[in-house]
Amino acid sequence: MKESLPFDHRPDPAIGDALRRALEPGDDSAFVARVVAQVERVRAGAGASWDAVLAGWARVGVAAAVTIALAAGYLLGRSAAAPTPRRASVADAVLAPVTSSAEVEVVLASVIDN
Amino acid sequence: MADPQPPGEAVRIGQQDEAELVARARAGDRAAFGVLVARYAATARRVARAALGDPDDADDAAQDAMLSALVKLDQYDPRRPFGPWLLRIVANAATDRRRRRTVRRVEPLDAALVAGGTRPDQTAERRALGQRLREALATLPARRRIAIVLFDVEGYSHAEIAVVLGIPEGTVRSEVFHARRLLRTLLADWKEEAE
Repeated sequence: MKESLPFDHRPDPAIGDALRRALEPGDDSAFVARVVAQVERVRAGAGASWDAVLAGWARVGVAAAVTIALAAGYLLGRSAAAPTPRRASVADAVLAPVTSSAEVEVVLASVIDN
Repeated sequence: MADPQPPGEAVRIGQQDEAELVARARAGDRAAFGVLVARYAATARRVARAALGDPDDADDAAQDAMLSALVKLDQYDPRRPFGPWLLRIVANAATDRRRRRTVRRVEPLDAALVAGGTRPDQTAERRALGQRLREALATLPARRRIAIVLFDVEGYSHAEIAVVLGIPEGTVRSEVFHARRLLRTLLADWKEEAE
């Protein structure tokens, strides 16, 4: 049987203190100033900030999707409206207006054979 | 350098106050965002450093995460605590940076340093212990390092860490347990050498 892990639900102060000292990042105020300055730089990007660029791409994407959807709808509608060519039957040949004597002979021969 | 705070003090901030700060930051109040950055700077930097090892890389990752959080503020649910939400972004930014890093700038692990070695003089003792802890941390998987820092240093609960890391709570307990086992051995060895 697998031994259950003895979990401790409270932080270990000895490990916590040692790790805190080991990972001490140094002066936080310099870091905060750096982040805030970066935010200012991005916002002052005269509309060229990356979120503005992304928003622009999103607009172009939506316009392209609408155009493609309209074109696809048009093509589908057109193909549905076009008549489907049908294979000619013997009845079509008999009922069709006679255009030449050769055609009459072929049709009559096939009827007599049947 | 600021005195170390007890675990959790930095992150146990009134949720109501914090929700208001987030709302103001979302509305474009830069000062409010600055306050949030200042509140979470130390924690974010420690978590990033636990994941990456190198302090400069860690600060870059923490900064990227803060900017990313500002852009994503609309996605934050104010009914939930802000800390785990922000630290998830930090952990992801650090993990992504670690994956992208082609040249590992952290010094190679010195087995003698982790396992023991000559004890330095008293003045350098604390610094040497810190170095030994960092080296020991570097042998652990990134997720385990982040879990133990969030639990034992920052005072987050297993449930909150589960949100940060996007893993089940039971897995968080296991990660903390395994990390502690290594670090407790290291600290015990260090204490023995000191006596």
